[in-house]
Amino acid sequence: MNIRQAVKMAWKSIWGKKGRAVLTMLGIIIGIASVMTIVSAITGYASKMMEQFEAMGANRIQVSVRNYAWTSDENGNMVALGADYFPQVYDYCNGMKDFVTGVTPEAYVNVNMVYGTKSSNSMSYEVDENGRLTSAPPNFYLGSDQYSACSNLTIAKGRDLALLDIQNYNQVVVLGAQAAQIFFGSADPVGKTVQLNNLRFEVIGVYASRLDPESNSNSTLDNFVLIPYTANRVLGTGNIEEFIVVAKNAEEIPEIVTRLDGFLKGLLNRATNDYSIYPQNDTDYFAESMNLIGGVLAGVAAISLMVGGIGIMNIMLVTVTERTREIGIRRAIGAQKSSIVTQFLIEAAMLCGIGGIIGILIGTLGCVILGNILFQMTIYPSGMVTAGAFGLSVLLGIIFGIYPAVKAANLQPVEALRAE
Amino acid sequence: MASLVELKNVYKIYGEGLESEVRALDGVSLTIDRGEFVAVVGQSGSGKSTMMNVLGCLDIPTRGEYLLEGTDVRELTDKELSRIRNKEIGFIFQQYNLIQTLSVLENVELPLIYQGINVDDRRDMALEALDRVGLGKRVKHKPAEMSGGQQQRAAIARAIATKPPIIMADEPTGALDSRTGHEVLEFLQQLNREGTTVILITHDNGIAATARRCVRLTDGKIVEDREQEVNWF
Repeated sequence: MNIRQAVKMAWKSIWGKKGRAVLTMLGIIIGIASVMTIVSAITGYASKMMEQFEAMGANRIQVSVRNYAWTSDENGNMVALGADYFPQVYDYCNGMKDFVTGVTPEAYVNVNMVYGTKSSNSMSYEVDENGRLTSAPPNFYLGSDQYSACSNLTIAKGRDLALLDIQNYNQVVVLGAQAAQIFFGSADPVGKTVQLNNLRFEVIGVYASRLDPESNSNSTLDNFVLIPYTANRVLGTGNIEEFIVVAKNAEEIPEIVTRLDGFLKGLLNRATNDYSIYPQNDTDYFAESMNLIGGVLAGVAAISLMVGGIGIMNIMLVTVTERTREIGIRRAIGAQKSSIVTQFLIEAAMLCGIGGIIGILIGTLGCVILGNILFQMTIYPSGMVTAGAFGLSVLLGIIFGIYPAVKAANLQPVEALRAE
Repeated sequence: MASLVELKNVYKIYGEGLESEVRALDGVSLTIDRGEFVAVVGQSGSGKSTMMNVLGCLDIPTRGEYLLEGTDVRELTDKELSRIRNKEIGFIFQQYNLIQTLSVLENVELPLIYQGINVDDRRDMALEALDRVGLGKRVKHKPAEMSGGQQQRAAIARAIATKPPIIMADEPTGALDSRTGHEVLEFLQQLNREGTTVILITHDNGIAATARRCVRLTDGKIVEDREQEVNWF
């Protein structure tokens, strides 16, 4: 007897007792639905979190070095007493070139840039008829020579910041594409001098646009001016406390975080909490607690699946008893034991498989609802979870179908024929 | 060439050693050759149904030897016994023993399914068998939708669908009125004339008279085994 025949027979037998089949399936339906809901909601939530995390900036690790010791200078202004830690972090990260794309301070400063008649402080926000930015005050960033590597920037004209510019406190700037357009129009800015807070800075380069030239976006992504971070000495903007380390790829972030943590622990005093790293490796605590909750709930769901499976076994045993005579007839006309086993196993597997499909549908709904209640997001079960749930339900049918099927096959033909 | 069926001093004892032990077959020896039409006659409880179960490989004797075409069935595996029941023997029961959830055609196809015959061929073979018993037009009906005589004819179609060399009929007319009963017996005689060995189990001497050879069982023992004038229909 081939499988197709057995499947057909099993379907007939289930269809012949629809009401009982549905009641029998309830256990499996509830079990699979709860497994689907829980596993999907949790894995879906984790992957959405990951997506958001990556959208915030691919592979970025934020390092904050705080210094709470302040003092006043001769003019009575409060200044931070702490040292500039960036060179040390910079050197340390350069020692991890295998993992790290670049490291730069992350800070922006409020200065006034003047070129000719244009002054950033008095600039208004304007867009052309295509919605593109024509005028707006630029953002002023302090960065290292690795700022461009960290921010996906390439130089279009002139040159990029160099390490020497940083070390020598050179008064130079590199312009973003929009800032160059707003201040210089079609003229070449390279070599021109601009004034930042009345100090002379030379424009040494212009970055290529990161925006799609065809798009009508009014994004200000490229409207910025990059200043070597050591210029904060003359601009009077204080020590840099935020650094960005960009990892070559996401998998290496934990390793980099661990190393940075060890380095900063040696450099600073951990006890005073004067540095922090984000993402922290111990933010895994969140993931761990999610896993724990998920594990407990999955355990409960597994128990309900067990109970469902036992229900299937019970009904299959009843079915075998009811159909003893049929089994006798089949044996008398030539069915082997293996044919009988196959028939009942397929029936149990099909019963559970149908229950599984119904459970998956309910579980998908449950997952959407649970996702909205717990995480305020719409989460759909992944293909893997769905396939796994279906496979699990069929497997349960086979496991719990074995005993009734073997019992059916081991009936003596002559006794089975005598049954009423 | 070995006889088709040979029982050598066969016992079938239920509850052996107990006070209540029952000797359904008590030292039976019997030989049946190809092409014979044998009636096994006896009162109820004489052991005739047990004999059919043993002959049909549905039951294994407690002691003694059963040679089917020279092979000792006690040495066969379940798989081999299933094959014999499937290909060598066609069963006809008093209660028809059709599967109620399947149509007549599906019932007749069942032994062919277990032979692994493909869909088209087995449909043809089943329809041919149903045609022979005159049920060619009612193949989609469920057994419960048919009369007793029609059900028994469907059961006969199932028995002959595989063209087995032996037909075993256990009280095939027991549940039928005399006219349909006669039709069934006539059909068995027809099969016998075509070369099929027929073993007919009955309590009715009138029905036993349709067979050329009559074996009478009493209390599990053969008390009579004779050739007789056939009462042809």
